[in-house]
Amino acid sequence: MRTFPPFFLGACIGVLVLVSQSLSSQECHLHLYGYVRDSSGTHPISYVTVFIEETGIGTLADEKGYFHLEGLCPGASYTLQCTRLGYQGKGLSLSIQSDTGVVLVMQEIGLQLERVEVNALKAGSAHTQAAQSLQGTDLEAGKALGFGESLRRLVGVTTLNTGATIAKPVIQGLHSNRILILNNGVRQESQQWGSEHAPEIDPFLAQEITVIKGAGSVRYGSDALGGVILVQPAPLPKTPGAWGEINLQGMTNGRTGIASGKIEARLKNPKFPLSGRVQGTLKRGGNIRTPDYFLRNTGISEANFSWTARLEKERWNTDVFYSRFYTQLGILRDAHIGNLTDLENAIVRARPLEDGTFSYTLGRPQQQVVHELVKWKTQWASGESSLFQLQFSRQFNRRQEYDAHKRYNALPENVDEAQIQLEITTYRVEADWEHQWAAHVEGNVGLNYMAQTNTTDRGGLLPRYENSVSGAYWIERWKRPDTPLELELGMRYDIQRLTAGPLERSATVERKSFKSWSGTLGAVYSPNHHLTFRANTGSAWRAPHVSELYSEGVHHGSASYEQGTASLQSERAWNNNLTLEWTGDSRETALTVMGYYNLIRDYIFLEPMDEPVLTIRGAFPAFRYSQTNARLTGIDARFSVLASPRWLAEFQASVINGWNTAEKDYLVFMPPSQFRYSLRYKIPAGRGTEKRHFIQVSAQHVLKQRWVPAGADYAPPPDGYLRLDVEGSFFVSLGRQPVELGFSILNALNTEYRDYLNRLRYFAAEPGRNLLLRVRIPFQVALF
Amino acid sequence: MNFKSFLFAFLFLGAFVFSACEKDKDSDPDNEQELITTIRLSFTGGGSTVTFNATDKDGDGGLAPVIDKIALKPNTDYALKVAFLDESKTPSADITEEVGKESDVHLVCLTGSGSMPSPTTLDKDKNNKPLGLSSSFKTGAAGAGTLKVTLKHEPDKNNANPCSTGETDAEATFTVEVK
Repeated sequence: MRTFPPFFLGACIGVLVLVSQSLSSQECHLHLYGYVRDSSGTHPISYVTVFIEETGIGTLADEKGYFHLEGLCPGASYTLQCTRLGYQGKGLSLSIQSDTGVVLVMQEIGLQLERVEVNALKAGSAHTQAAQSLQGTDLEAGKALGFGESLRRLVGVTTLNTGATIAKPVIQGLHSNRILILNNGVRQESQQWGSEHAPEIDPFLAQEITVIKGAGSVRYGSDALGGVILVQPAPLPKTPGAWGEINLQGMTNGRTGIASGKIEARLKNPKFPLSGRVQGTLKRGGNIRTPDYFLRNTGISEANFSWTARLEKERWNTDVFYSRFYTQLGILRDAHIGNLTDLENAIVRARPLEDGTFSYTLGRPQQQVVHELVKWKTQWASGESSLFQLQFSRQFNRRQEYDAHKRYNALPENVDEAQIQLEITTYRVEADWEHQWAAHVEGNVGLNYMAQTNTTDRGGLLPRYENSVSGAYWIERWKRPDTPLELELGMRYDIQRLTAGPLERSATVERKSFKSWSGTLGAVYSPNHHLTFRANTGSAWRAPHVSELYSEGVHHGSASYEQGTASLQSERAWNNNLTLEWTGDSRETALTVMGYYNLIRDYIFLEPMDEPVLTIRGAFPAFRYSQTNARLTGIDARFSVLASPRWLAEFQASVINGWNTAEKDYLVFMPPSQFRYSLRYKIPAGRGTEKRHFIQVSAQHVLKQRWVPAGADYAPPPDGYLRLDVEGSFFVSLGRQPVELGFSILNALNTEYRDYLNRLRYFAAEPGRNLLLRVRIPFQVALF
Repeated sequence: MNFKSFLFAFLFLGAFVFSACEKDKDSDPDNEQELITTIRLSFTGGGSTVTFNATDKDGDGGLAPVIDKIALKPNTDYALKVAFLDESKTPSADITEEVGKESDVHLVCLTGSGSMPSPTTLDKDKNNKPLGLSSSFKTGAAGAGTLKVTLKHEPDKNNANPCSTGETDAEATFTVEVK
């Protein structure tokens, strides 16, 4: 069987265990691990696909060439295959009797796998997470809290919240339209301009979530001034059979229950190698409780569903993916206010009027959001080092917002009673050619096109619009195996055409066109396999969004009148960052420090206007979208030490300074400096597994934000806080059934605190103690 | 094909069935917003009825609301009726009726200053709590003042200061001249 080179897995960073062998014979529990080097013997080769032909057990070696396979039987004969673009692999026969470490030496293309050294590598060098990637227990433990909240574990990633159930990821101070989310390879297109519009993604769909910081827009499109989030589902089975998984989770706060399951299979017929998966999640929660009172109307209901099918032949494969996300979210009743006086009254109270009680009832105000995605992707390998990919996708998003108050006057037609209904439909076509020019140069060239229509029913905040974007990119990487240096150069050009209207007041239709280039230049220098330096400089742009150009109206909840500015220009960012990565002999002992210096010219922000706007509901503070020049400087650092095989200590720090260089003042709503300290005690979960039971205590330490501009916020930033979480994860077997159990006690000390980046901090405190229990049951179906 | 593979095929087919594409249900041309455009105050006293309006027909933003100057006689007993209208359409809609129907979740707050006394609420809601659509007051000597009228939704009527709770649906501050 021919294997596809590892780039079939897309931009995924980290380790992907393709097939879980948890249910194979009890005796087959041996490990094979090691790393892949080039012929000089000193430089690692990253992202090599390593797998065993007979069983299909496979993995993708990480950036530093490390890999780990498990579930091997003693004495059995195996053929170990290594493949990577630019290197030609060949099967290698081997038979092992105990856990074995190997160093694989690969030669450049044209030469064959030269030799294998079997030696005693230090045990414990199991796979670890890539610097900015979330997977395994760290991902599983956060899924119950939602997509945005689960990302908070990554250093430099915070969230912009509206209460406890709406969280938008913030990467190095930027969020909403300034970051991109790729859901299974498709750029998420919804109503991300609103700060209370959370990404419509089921976290249970993901096996791995990767955050790329900085201007990562060359490959994925303009707009990504802050970064890119890649949501990667697990790969489909590579061997015939059927597997499944059941996840059950419960949280005491909100009395939330979640059930998520999936079943996946691959047909036995080698002539028709079809594989597929069906997955779904149900979630229901009620009113959240702070240490002292319940928050009225803060429940959640979610029902998500997806399926995928894949046909995989020797030289080509094709995928169809469908997903549907539906959520109904209650918004804290006390946060829905009529005018500035109401807001001032609420801020003086600083807490809800009543202590409230628990209830699952989802009343007004509330949001209902549907997001649907269909994609079709085909890849064709025209040679060992040439891969074509074509992808079509359609996305539909319907957002309905219900105000606290029903309409006084009935609607003429029998339509949903939402005060605002926004519907956006997006079609995308993407073509990519991954190729190798020469022995040391490989890259991607691609074209993409997007057509989008947004309609607004009721509520004049955003006009109807049509948007089309055409883009082309070209990226090349240069890497010689005998040098520690790797270079990358990428360019992109986009043309965007926008038709908006008819506008509420003038009833005119506005047409605009924006076009510009993005570019990136990066270098990686690895003098040895412990140390890596990365430097990247890039420039990206973002066209002003329709909401920034033409919105006009009162934004409920924030009690502000927002006015678009039709003359806004595109934003232009210049991002510079430098990363140092050091890895010890044990890969769990590691240091990563990233410094960044990002300049954004014509940064679009809401500027307070001199006079409040008078309406029939009283006065509202008025804000107008304007532009300035911004500078974002910061450091993200992570340091972990494996003090003994059982004790792992970790320290994370993230400091950011946002500066308005034109006004010589701070930028509003920048994440405060934060630190995270954690200590984990772990013990092996049994013989022949790299899994570890663990118990962890961690503290989230957030300082008070002192870098704030005067007069741009209704209340001063809240005090800093220290929140203590306890977490544990256990792997047990009930008979022959393996089960993963986990618990978390979030805010274990029931501390009352408020977060600067929670828009409801004026009205209520953050949630109190929350005990979370989770069970994951993988199973195998004897199908054939 | 055994039962299990049949079951599996069934599951997958089911998945396709559930995948009906959602479509934009754009219900143009109904893009109307719900609106209170007008607060109407009718003062009855001294043998006549006078009416004053606060009106913002074009909604939030655009032109600012036009608020009439209230002129009252000194030392006179007045009955005050408050009405809320949507005059953005023809014929205009009277929203006062809706407020009366949902009297328990509404409250009209009336606050006077200067020579304008704060009116005393006369009407009650379903729970025998103040409503505020109907009130009375007596003017004193000539002078100037203001009258602030606020329609509150879901106020806490048990609160010591119910007018500081709830969500404001309509609000205007009239200038008052007693002469």
